[in-house]
Amino acid sequence: MAGPAATLEPSSSHERLPGAPVLEMRDIARAFGSTQALDGVSLSLFPGEIHALLGENGAGKSTLIKIMTGVQQPDRGEMRIDGRPVRVSSSQDGQRLGVAAIYQEPMIFPDLSVAENIFIGHRDRGVRVDHGKTQREAEAVLARLGVSLDVGEPARGLTLAQQQTVEIAKAISLKVRVLIMDEPTASLSAHEVRQLFRIVAALKAEGVAILFISHRMEEVFEIADRVTILRDGRWISTSPRGELTPAAAIRGMVGREVVELFKRERTAPGAVRLAVRDLHKEGVFSGVSFEVRAGEVLGFAGLVGARRTDVGLALFGVAPAERGSVELDGAPISVRSPQEATRLGIAYSTEDRRQLGLVMPLSITANITLPSLERYLGAFGLVRRSAERETANSFRDRLRIRAPSVETPAAALSGGNQQKVVLSKWLETKPKVLILDEPTRGIDVGAKVEVHQLIDELAAQGMAIIMISSDLPEVLAMSDRILVMREGRQVAIIDHADASQERVLGAAMGQGGDLLADEPGVDLIAGTAAAATLDLLASGEVDPELLLRDPAAPPADGDRA
Amino acid sequence: MDALLRRFRPEQLRELILLLVIVGMVVFFATQIDQYLAARPVNRITTGLAITAVVAVGQVLVVLTRNIDLSVGSSVGLVAYVVGTLLTRWTEMPPLVAVGLSVGIGVLLGAINGLLVAYGRVPSIIATLGTLALYRVVLVEFSGAKTVTTADLPDWLNDIPSANVASFEGYDLRVMVAVALVAVIIGQLMLRYLSFGRRLYAIGSNPDAARVSGLPARRDVFLAFTLCGALAGLAGFMFLVRFGNITVTAAQGLELQVVAAVVVGGVAIAGGSGSMVGAFMGVLLIEILQQSLLRWAEISEFVKDAILGLLILLAVATDTVVLGRLRERWVRIRRRDQEERLAAAPGEAADVR
Repeated sequence: MAGPAATLEPSSSHERLPGAPVLEMRDIARAFGSTQALDGVSLSLFPGEIHALLGENGAGKSTLIKIMTGVQQPDRGEMRIDGRPVRVSSSQDGQRLGVAAIYQEPMIFPDLSVAENIFIGHRDRGVRVDHGKTQREAEAVLARLGVSLDVGEPARGLTLAQQQTVEIAKAISLKVRVLIMDEPTASLSAHEVRQLFRIVAALKAEGVAILFISHRMEEVFEIADRVTILRDGRWISTSPRGELTPAAAIRGMVGREVVELFKRERTAPGAVRLAVRDLHKEGVFSGVSFEVRAGEVLGFAGLVGARRTDVGLALFGVAPAERGSVELDGAPISVRSPQEATRLGIAYSTEDRRQLGLVMPLSITANITLPSLERYLGAFGLVRRSAERETANSFRDRLRIRAPSVETPAAALSGGNQQKVVLSKWLETKPKVLILDEPTRGIDVGAKVEVHQLIDELAAQGMAIIMISSDLPEVLAMSDRILVMREGRQVAIIDHADASQERVLGAAMGQGGDLLADEPGVDLIAGTAAAATLDLLASGEVDPELLLRDPAAPPADGDRA
Repeated sequence: MDALLRRFRPEQLRELILLLVIVGMVVFFATQIDQYLAARPVNRITTGLAITAVVAVGQVLVVLTRNIDLSVGSSVGLVAYVVGTLLTRWTEMPPLVAVGLSVGIGVLLGAINGLLVAYGRVPSIIATLGTLALYRVVLVEFSGAKTVTTADLPDWLNDIPSANVASFEGYDLRVMVAVALVAVIIGQLMLRYLSFGRRLYAIGSNPDAARVSGLPARRDVFLAFTLCGALAGLAGFMFLVRFGNITVTAAQGLELQVVAAVVVGGVAIAGGSGSMVGAFMGVLLIEILQQSLLRWAEISEFVKDAILGLLILLAVATDTVVLGRLRERWVRIRRRDQEERLAAAPGEAADVR
């Protein structure tokens, strides 16, 4: 890639800030329907910098990444590489410009060899494949990362961490200058995270700009040079790590305007409806214990990957837990299928309305009566259409579903009205326990208030409600108690009276309550030995090879052929 | 088993098993049928598999990308009929022109499939089911229900089936068989050593990753269908050569034979894995089984089709179960060996700190 004279070569990586940014995003905006996912976000990445991007679910991080890599186009704003405006209209463009992304779930070709996985995307390698050369070069690239893998073997069966390494190697081989890592550590073990950080440090030393996204505060404060915070699609702040504390970061991420849309009248809850003890599913979640009483709303808070939905699905019998006990009205139950759950009086309304919640081409009526169709069978097992319609009409009035008639297909409704149909469908099963997964995601404010009102009514009638939601103000406004999960573990149950956005998000990100009472200026994590090592590397005083070399790996002195 | 899996990958092990099945089958029939390994029946079997093998080579390219071409039977029939008719009218047509014309028509038919699937986004099973019917109707319209007969064809053409490349004590290597072998070998080399071939595996192995990695997936799928058409065209010419008498039903049902061979040969119907050599063994197994049963049990044509159906079901079912298990085991062994290596190399696991 022949840039202008001002281009920083990777070799000059030690002259980091202040230098010329390799990539600049200026005033980027992007809307999806009525949702403004990004609104005037700007971000610069310098060579050899690790830049962390923080934000709640839905803050716009993913959209920003997609725009940077060319998967999506911005409505407004400009992207510059080496100071020159560029248009990135496909992932190929992004690759050509040296921008690559690595996701939580790596994109691997299981049937191709490790070496081929690294080089398959290269356009400049001619029509013939020289397997020997490819493998030698793959080994060289991996050695630069301090990793040794059998490059001739198929990639099938590599661990997630190894797959990520292969993807990083692929990016490096493409002479990547900006590497975006979207939650790369989410499914890694502690040891694998350390190894990944070694690799990241090696890349940094080579002058690659790294945009690092993680929900783990301690990681961000360990490796990031600068931290940018987004909230509701808007840029909030960019600060050097030393000038930010975890508590300040969390304050920046929440601080959302809390317009209390709906005020719940909380009444004393009744008897325990659902008691869950030590629910466990290997590799998914563990140690989940809680009770929900009649008339109570238990909020489930947590970030993406907290496994809240998995707990909901386990209770509903879609993917049952392996250990632990569940009691309904005092009687132990073991739910193995959704049919069983429905029969017992447990309903689950999905977060994925379009794929799992509704049969889009079918009418409102048909959707509502689908799980309880047995009750609508008349002579010869035929469906009694009039009774069905009656039910649908009563829900239409009660929930104010706005549609020309109950025969309107679900696909023709707005998001809010679709959500009401999903709720009607589960209410028609007459549940005792209602699990709501993201009940107001992607619906407008008016419908949201109505859904909140309905939740309140249902609770007042004695239903026990579990509400999984990523919308913090909603969780705070609606819940009697809030259960916070983090990476598959239950980390806190907070009473409504003691709950605040900071407290909930702090727990979700692995920051205890004490940390929030910190004194500004004291950096709690940057003092660790690992961070010091990384600083040493970044300063260029130490040859990264010395620190990063894998004793088992062959010497990384280039072409051994 | 573990030792075997350390030496061979599950896919290779599967091909090895196929080879053993073929050998076992031959040994079995040799004890049941008189003169089973004599020159004449062996020649009959080898000649019989040439056309299927050529079409199978093209089919492998398509199936690797997680697609399928059901129109190959109609393409072969159409090419055989059109080129046959032209040859009866213009008997001086040079042989090379006839072959070139066959391949050319095949390319056109394949490109239509490719356009529909790669750029028109029609699922391949539907697109090629459609062209299977359409190409056959074109043939019926073109022919006016007349047939091409051997008597009207030029002599050079009628001489090809018995032409030999080499012969050893009555065991012949016919030209047609040699062509098939060359196609298989070139195909195998292409899959292994051309970046196009490797990309076919990538596309079938993980279509999403192929897109994100910036591979020219659509163009490659289009090319795979076009090449498949070209090979069907070549096979159409071979069909004309072999049978001489071409009716409107020529090569009807060949797609079943070819898909069965490819699947039995270990090419994953979900794409991403398989080889030309495997597919060729699939062709071999099917041809031997059908011919042998024909002589041993005097089965009918319908039973032949039933065998194909049974083999397809058996192959796909065993692949999902057996190959799946083998792969799991292979991964486990590899992980374990890796851990042992790590444990044997102290210091590697140490952190930076």
